[in-house]
Amino acid sequence: MSALAISGGPVISRQLARLPGWTVLAVWTAAVLLPLYILVVSCFKTTAEIYDNRLGLPQSWALDNFVNAWTRADLGHNFINSLIVTGGAVILTIVVSAMAAYPLSRYRLGWNAVMLGLFLSGIMLPIRLASVELFTLMRNFGLLDSLTGLILVYSAIRIPFAVFIFANFMRVLPSELDEAARMDGAGEVRILFQIILPMVKPAVSIVAIFTAIAVWNDFFFPLIFIFDDRYKTVPLAISVFVGQFRTDWGLVFASLAISMAPILIMYCLLARQIREGVGAGGGMK
Amino acid sequence: MSNLRRTSSLKRTQQRMAVLFILPALAVYALFVLYPLAMSLWGSFFVWKGLRMVEFAGLSNFSRLFVFPSGARLYGALWHNTAWFFGIMVFQNGIGLLFAWLLFLRDRGAAFFQSVFFFPAVLSPVIVGALWRLLLAPGGVVEWAFNGLGLHQGSLTVLGNSHTALGMLIAVDAWNWMGLPVLIYTAGLRQISGQIFEAAKLDGAGNARMLFSIALPLLMPALGTLTTLSFINTFNQFDIVYVMQGVQGNPSYSTDTLVTYFYRLAFGAEGAVGITDIGLALALGTMLFLILSTGTLLMLRFFDRHTVQL
Repeated sequence: MSALAISGGPVISRQLARLPGWTVLAVWTAAVLLPLYILVVSCFKTTAEIYDNRLGLPQSWALDNFVNAWTRADLGHNFINSLIVTGGAVILTIVVSAMAAYPLSRYRLGWNAVMLGLFLSGIMLPIRLASVELFTLMRNFGLLDSLTGLILVYSAIRIPFAVFIFANFMRVLPSELDEAARMDGAGEVRILFQIILPMVKPAVSIVAIFTAIAVWNDFFFPLIFIFDDRYKTVPLAISVFVGQFRTDWGLVFASLAISMAPILIMYCLLARQIREGVGAGGGMK
Repeated sequence: MSNLRRTSSLKRTQQRMAVLFILPALAVYALFVLYPLAMSLWGSFFVWKGLRMVEFAGLSNFSRLFVFPSGARLYGALWHNTAWFFGIMVFQNGIGLLFAWLLFLRDRGAAFFQSVFFFPAVLSPVIVGALWRLLLAPGGVVEWAFNGLGLHQGSLTVLGNSHTALGMLIAVDAWNWMGLPVLIYTAGLRQISGQIFEAAKLDGAGNARMLFSIALPLLMPALGTLTTLSFINTFNQFDIVYVMQGVQGNPSYSTDTLVTYFYRLAFGAEGAVGITDIGLALALGTMLFLILSTGTLLMLRFFDRHTVQL
């Protein structure tokens, strides 16, 4: 007894001292994972089974709910719309922001600081408050009920953040890079796209990831600009489903799972980059 | 001489190229962000008929905003947003600091916990809201668990009760974003030199003392970032309310926010449904813009001034 206390005592007490900390972390881990676990297993259950067997694994791994969500509730269509809008906004944002950030960070021009300030101020501007004027503008351009309209609006909103990231990464590249290329007769467009842009790949991925997350998740602009079912994006469709298919829980759970799948996959692949991007950039919202 | 000419011709080329390079981004950004925002602020001083500005109205939209019946909505929403902000500061950014500190003390497994905690933050607030609406619904898994554990009997109607609904939405929002403070505090803690903590330990400081007397003052930049982000996010709050409680902020406007109120005025869901009051909406938008910009600037200044330099 006493021998045990002497030999094992300090070790055990050190581990005991750590127990409250681990418990706290474990409790929050459960708080995050349990709802997601329920979401995933409920996708495979009928509504009756969800009531009878809440926490257990489904009796059979039936895919009916997914099939119904994709076809009967037409989520497949919304899914493709979201892919087009997200892809389009990511590409447009990256191209125009990298183009703008290149002269702003690497040329010595008198008005650089002012122009950069103008772009950066957009990081804090609450664009939702301009939605009435934006609505009128979109209507006059014939961009209501169109995926192109959403792509343009999302790019406009994400450009400030993207210019900020690109300018920060491009500023620190050695000036010999473009000077040598200029000596060899390369034009400015070539220098940007073939020399500078490949050197700031981390910036490209940060901008791509955070633009993709923000655009895929957004709900406010589709809500005010999209009326036709043909052009609805996933979050907008989900907000309708939850009310419409209120009683068919399995179907709603399955549609939630489908709509978060791309982000879930991306997160698993890029968790580290996202963690570091947020830690360094002080947030992505 | 020729060298000089070459530099100046390069300078001219660069100036021309700079304009071409900046133009696409500037055009999109100016057209879809700066112009509508400026027009919205300008339009709040006009009388509107439908979507048309008809007459300069001075401050009359603003005075209408503050008196009954819109005043009641305004003050309600202002209070809900303020409570939301303080709730997030305590339950998200406060508890997030505790988590970050625990992860900092024992480095092992930190990456795993950070990834798990941050995961909900990459999900759409719409999905998070819909998920929690199902979990919290009558007959949902939360009610079932409370009944099973004997914590509560019968139907659990947190979202249908005007005393508890707002608190529940704040909790869901905190669940959504908890990973953000954890990541930002952790990054801040890693920048603090380990020698400071070693010295404090030698002087006999305990964990709590080190957290509150050493880490916290040095974490001011991180706290500043989080406070500002939480403030901007709170005063833009819309998605979770819309999905969980409807655009009226049910029950009986107890979860109404400034942006849900703005949305109803602008897109016709306030009062007689389908009728908009653009003048009032824009006045509310301008006020919200003032709250957001002055609040953000004050916070950035405050935290800049209270940053401890080493």
